[in-house]
Amino acid sequence: MRRARILVLPALSIAIAAAQTVDANKLLHPPPDAWLTYHGEYNGQRHSRLTQITPDNVARLALAWTFPTGQNQAIKASPILVDGVLYLTTPDNLWAIDARTGKQRWHYRHPANNAFHIGHRGAAVYKNTVYLTTPDCHLIAFNAEDGRKKWDVIVADSNKGYWSTNAPLVVGNHVLVGVSGDFDNVPGQLKSIDADTGKLQWTFYSTPPAGTPDSKSGGANPDSGGATGGQMWTTGTYDPVLNLVFVGTGNPTPVLNGAARPGDNPWTCSIVALNPETGKLVWGFQVSPHDTHDWDANEIPVLVDADFGGQPRKMLMQASRNGYFFVLDRTTGKNLLTAPFATVNWSKGIDSLGRPIPNAAKEPSRDGVLVAPMESGATNFRPPSFDPQTGLFLVSAQDGYGIYFFKPEHGGYGWAGADYNIAGKSFLRAIDYHTGRIVWNHPIGDGAGTAGVLTTDTGVTISGDNRTSVMALRTRDGATLWHQDIGHMENAPITYELDGKQYVLVAGGPSLYAFALP
Amino acid sequence: MIPSRRMSAKQALAIICAAMFIAGFVLAQAPKAAAAKKAAPPDPGQSPAARPHPKQATTEPYPAAQVQAGELRFVSQCGFCHGRDAAGGESGPDLTRSELVASDIRGDKIGPLVRAGRPDVGMPAFRVSDAELTSIVAFIHTQASKFATLSGGRRSVDAADLATGNAADGRGYFNGAGGCSGCHSATGDLAGIAMRYDALTLLERMLYPSGRPAPGRPNATVTLASGQTITGPLAAEDEFSVVVLDPQGARQTYSKDAVKVKIDDPMSAHFTQLGKYTDAEIHNVYAYLETLK
Repeated sequence: MRRARILVLPALSIAIAAAQTVDANKLLHPPPDAWLTYHGEYNGQRHSRLTQITPDNVARLALAWTFPTGQNQAIKASPILVDGVLYLTTPDNLWAIDARTGKQRWHYRHPANNAFHIGHRGAAVYKNTVYLTTPDCHLIAFNAEDGRKKWDVIVADSNKGYWSTNAPLVVGNHVLVGVSGDFDNVPGQLKSIDADTGKLQWTFYSTPPAGTPDSKSGGANPDSGGATGGQMWTTGTYDPVLNLVFVGTGNPTPVLNGAARPGDNPWTCSIVALNPETGKLVWGFQVSPHDTHDWDANEIPVLVDADFGGQPRKMLMQASRNGYFFVLDRTTGKNLLTAPFATVNWSKGIDSLGRPIPNAAKEPSRDGVLVAPMESGATNFRPPSFDPQTGLFLVSAQDGYGIYFFKPEHGGYGWAGADYNIAGKSFLRAIDYHTGRIVWNHPIGDGAGTAGVLTTDTGVTISGDNRTSVMALRTRDGATLWHQDIGHMENAPITYELDGKQYVLVAGGPSLYAFALP
Repeated sequence: MIPSRRMSAKQALAIICAAMFIAGFVLAQAPKAAAAKKAAPPDPGQSPAARPHPKQATTEPYPAAQVQAGELRFVSQCGFCHGRDAAGGESGPDLTRSELVASDIRGDKIGPLVRAGRPDVGMPAFRVSDAELTSIVAFIHTQASKFATLSGGRRSVDAADLATGNAADGRGYFNGAGGCSGCHSATGDLAGIAMRYDALTLLERMLYPSGRPAPGRPNATVTLASGQTITGPLAAEDEFSVVVLDPQGARQTYSKDAVKVKIDDPMSAHFTQLGKYTDAEIHNVYAYLETLK
């Protein structure tokens, strides 16, 4: 019976295809009334060309509607918008919401499971299908119109310590799905799933299990002393001209026990460029060789085509959790710039490849070492934005310290050590990508920031502070133009134009808020 | 006018409830904890800091099915902050070493906390049924008992691990280059400090005082448009407003548009110091503090 339904579905979907189709071309050129991927566009800039909201009128933004999820956990996702419908996620939940009224159209709740529910980044869309990852590592395809389940596949074994928070990236008919898992020594894997059928197309291992081709790390073989980990839990970016997908990889495991995995442990804490058709590695750049501080390099690899050092360049920029800002040539993976953007005390300098050189004295020790940044990082999952008008890279940054411990009794499995955050102060920080110079610094409070950043062509930046405010800043100098108390922000805002009106969508705690000019 | 206002009111209520609860807890527990430490002097050769796991008030076993149900709920609802094993995560404390958990009897302390949340430190209030709560409590206690029996296990930091510094050098730094004696005194506020905290907590609080008991709050001076000046402990601050406790302990919020605010934060010296310390200096000062019994 289930089979019969699957066979019937394509016929049914033809009728609504005209209204719902998100094809490859639309993903490459998103219209103003859409936000089709986690980042809005493949380049990950989170920069909108919409111009209705300006520095002069942003102070008049007013609430259009709210959507309370009724969940305990804050919304960490960016909603997807297609054909007037928003798709919003939290762990185990997917809602379709009318973007004009904020009213629910349908809701899917995944069965209770004991996988890690740390957060969820968002859904993905292609044709008339919405894709959701779940904490227990399912990838589920839904009919966008009514939420009927089309198929449900398992991308990793949650019983082995994997979970998923991932907003998938759709490239052609590839749904790229990442997972998390650094409490167990499991290989880092990114899977490409056929958008129509749910069939596995390829797997890229950042730490290939021993015996698989291209194993560079020693993989999961306990005899090799090699690293595992390097999970790809955030959404990558895509360059259609180079036909390359760029993804950040997470920390190695065991996490704090570096002695168990000597060497650089590629491709953990790295940016990797993959061929989306095959999953083959084209190049890799390691931002934290031999990480021992849980500093995933999963921060968004933002793609920028602009001048660097007097030449037009195809660049990739990342403000990484380890406190360094990197500019790479994304054709080759060669480093153009490495500069700290937050307080760092763990490196002895930069090597000839542009990688920070870890100082062995700052590896976790029996009696503890004070390390900057702390575990939560100089930045983290919250997405940055690149403003092409000013050339500023805007990121929520933290100057902070943690204390790190490791002793052989902690063993070589999972965390394998102990670490504690001591203190931190957060800022929205504007980086000049040519030099790494901090152009302005806007304090947002103590502790780690959690709000992502959005910029628009009119010079408006939307983000949040560490308490309960969403804020609009002037991109040029970081001056505050508007703020509204909505609860703690843990997502990145999005914007779109519907019926001639520009909306800003942002989550405060477990509720979604839509703002527009009156 | 907008729902967020209503939410703010709800949040405020939650904050008040949580504050009342925490205050009640601190008042109720503090003398008892102090008395317990006085009544049971540890082996003189052993620092009181060497007691990593507080003794559980109740060690009754819970049915396996209940623990299992609790684990399911804990991992999915609490694990993102407290770790899926309850032994601490990126933003939430290790519950297996928690004094509150240790003194809890079948959820009498954990229950109200879970339902009220701790908005001041970012813990939301959870809506859970009595059965769910009981299972969560069962899981947390089971984990606390399990971790207490592990010696040198993962995550553990023992007093002996931290005892690598030179107390005399630490004293020199404290009174000299470190500038600690500008605010602190070994015979004043820090007298007996080593008796008050376990080893790891002492080290953490030395680096940056936080947690409970709360360090002294910064002092805020608010000058109103009328010229009137209000001084009190700072409860919260952001770019737009400042919240000051009045003499009754109630939170008074002032918009920064309308007032002038001056904040005297003694903790800022600790933050600055984090950028100056070498690891050797940290361990030396810690060794010195460990002598203040």
